[in-house]
Amino acid sequence: MVAQLVQLKLRLLWNGLKADWQRRFGFPATMMALAIGAVYLAGRYLDTVSSLTADARIEFTLWAALAFFALWVTLPVVIFPLDENLDPAQFAMAPVPPLSFITGLGLAALIAPSVVVPLIVLGTNVAIHTAVLPIAIWSSLLFLVLMIVSGQLFTTVISAVLRTRRGRDFAMFIVLGIGLVGFAAQQLTRRAIDALGLEGAVLANPIGDGALFLPPVAAQRITTEALSGSYSGVAVWSLVTVAWIGALAWLWNRLLQWMLTTPEANAGPAKRSRSAGLAGGVGWSAPIVLARKELRFFVRDPRQRLVWTGAVIFLGLVASSILVGTSGIAQFRTREWIPLLAPGLVLFVGLPIALNMFGWERNAASFLFVLPTTPRRLILGKNLATAIALVLETVVLALLLAALSNSWSVLRFVPALTVAAVGCQLAVGNLVSVITPLRLPREGTDVFSQATEQGCLAIFAQLTSFAMIGLMLVLPASLMVLAVAFGEVLDPWMANGFSVIWGTVFYLLSVAITSRILKRRMPEVVNWVQTV
Amino acid sequence: MISDTSDDAVTVVSPSAVWARGLVRKFGRDIAVDHLDLDIAAGEFYGLLGQNGAGKTTTIKMIVGLLRPTEGTAGIGEVDTWKDPIAVKRRIGVLPEEFNLYERLTGAELLDFAAGMHGLERGETIDRRNELLELLDLSDDATKLVGDYSRGMRKKVALAASIIHRPDVLFLDEPFEGVDPVSARLIQNLLMRYTDSGATIVFSAHEMHLVQRLCTRIGIMVRGRLAIEDTVEGLCERTGTHNVEDAFIKAVGGDIGSGEIEWLHNSSN
Repeated sequence: MVAQLVQLKLRLLWNGLKADWQRRFGFPATMMALAIGAVYLAGRYLDTVSSLTADARIEFTLWAALAFFALWVTLPVVIFPLDENLDPAQFAMAPVPPLSFITGLGLAALIAPSVVVPLIVLGTNVAIHTAVLPIAIWSSLLFLVLMIVSGQLFTTVISAVLRTRRGRDFAMFIVLGIGLVGFAAQQLTRRAIDALGLEGAVLANPIGDGALFLPPVAAQRITTEALSGSYSGVAVWSLVTVAWIGALAWLWNRLLQWMLTTPEANAGPAKRSRSAGLAGGVGWSAPIVLARKELRFFVRDPRQRLVWTGAVIFLGLVASSILVGTSGIAQFRTREWIPLLAPGLVLFVGLPIALNMFGWERNAASFLFVLPTTPRRLILGKNLATAIALVLETVVLALLLAALSNSWSVLRFVPALTVAAVGCQLAVGNLVSVITPLRLPREGTDVFSQATEQGCLAIFAQLTSFAMIGLMLVLPASLMVLAVAFGEVLDPWMANGFSVIWGTVFYLLSVAITSRILKRRMPEVVNWVQTV
Repeated sequence: MISDTSDDAVTVVSPSAVWARGLVRKFGRDIAVDHLDLDIAAGEFYGLLGQNGAGKTTTIKMIVGLLRPTEGTAGIGEVDTWKDPIAVKRRIGVLPEEFNLYERLTGAELLDFAAGMHGLERGETIDRRNELLELLDLSDDATKLVGDYSRGMRKKVALAASIIHRPDVLFLDEPFEGVDPVSARLIQNLLMRYTDSGATIVFSAHEMHLVQRLCTRIGIMVRGRLAIEDTVEGLCERTGTHNVEDAFIKAVGGDIGSGEIEWLHNSSN
């Protein structure tokens, strides 16, 4: 059975590559990018280790093991899933013993592009410790098994959470939590290194004693014990690591068994809305009705809510950096033009929605596109909702930055710059949305990210679009800065007027062009964004 | 009917409520719909039947403008779908597949959305929405999210969304799948009264007893072509059968077989 699961994963991977040109291009490109990233990471690791004294080196490798483990287990699920795991539910009725089942799933998880990263990094770790080569290899193998089991357990926990709509609603807090913990860890690390230097920081904060409760540290400690000649230590930490692997595998198996035998239905009563319908409120035309629908989805769809609450994380990070910061961002406290950053910073937030407005329809695109609304009105309705959300977030961020920098007078420039920023974002977003719409995974399968086969394309589209929007904003932003700084050489009315015209012209041009494109491509857009 | 092929695209002036001319759809090397010609008159309750993969859904998608034909064209009345899709969409209602609905709108919001996008006035929207919810026994669940609806409730709210603007032509793909018998009868009565008022219904289903009960004319598709088209009585007569199910099986050349697999029926294995 173990061999069959591994063969199945290979077959699925091969069939996927044969059937989909994007994967044929994306798979080797992803492997190459990951290998380059891993080699860079390994090189940095090697350089840092060789720059440290023997004692510091031991502590550093333990900290590095912990950091690498945490990133590898959490990041793929939360931000950038590259691998497709076998779906355990497919084997619910197969008579497979639990041990074979999880061993097969674990080994199958090794057939994935992202595995190139731990292989290169762990290979480097072995190369550093040639003095105790067999032990280093043993330690790294245990580390790899630990990562696979922990990664699968974490993925399964997330899947368990996502099984119900309520769980999916809750899932964004997991992302928020991981983001905030990651940020706090980065800040603490940075402070410690700023204060003591890397060597002083690792020696002042030894982690080896906590290895019993930190499995990756326990695995790495097998090597460090061997380096200090303690072979009893090697045996002890090997036992601890194996025990951790066993415990995590047991947990994983229990969770899988629970998921396979428990229905997915919501435990509680169905959610009810307080609103009677969409027909209340101001205005009643197709774009307004569509915008109302969109705004409800911004709040009710956990994936879209996550996009918009990304701003909350962002605001929190900006505020805490400025308030407590030892880092470079703290100097911004004294710059009076800081509130002008708000419209630009918000671009980080709404981009996934602005760039893929029809992709977010998922299968409902076929419902939307049989309604007799012109492409222009469809685009206007979608844009109206996005613009409302962007403007709201810009207002909040601008007020926060003005309060932190005590530069309220600059706020009078924010509305015009917001028009430019939102206009340019929507202009580029409309073009990308109608030319390369992206298919999102069906709700309930993955809250966090793009469909795997389109991961590379999505990231490429977002980066290119972000760069383009940034370029479009250089001119109005520069004029604004000239109006508030550098001797205020430009008349504020000119700067404001230019920004408004700039954003409006780009936006109107984009609506005119994209309406025509969408008119011709509507069936193709529907077929592309639907998941079944 | 007048057909003029002198232009780049085929221009058709047709008295038919629904029509297709030389409709072809290929997916790679596979031909899903193969030179299909179709004419459905106003007021007809037309059953479009076929085995799985025969091309029924693909045909409907091409007629309503959701899938571009590889060749040929289709339309509603005098309007060619592929020349003026918006005009066609104003006149039709399409029952969406149950998983293609907006799951995070409530039932009431979904109907308001459909009505608003069709340009109905606000007051009329509210009146029609409430009436439909009442008729389809969904009033108590109007403020629940569609994602929390049962399969039958989804079908009912989808049907309501497709008729709230009173379309001239209604396309129903598997409308009774997963619907309980009471709701199914309710929907049947609603649809029969609807065609009595002059509306046209194009209906695709696998429940042959419902097809026999509801349809005034039947077209059976085989491998992307319209193999046979007639009234229920005419179909039975032409195939020498007594009901639509037998006629269908005969028309598609279904090989029922004996269901005999040696190892399956041998208890010693």
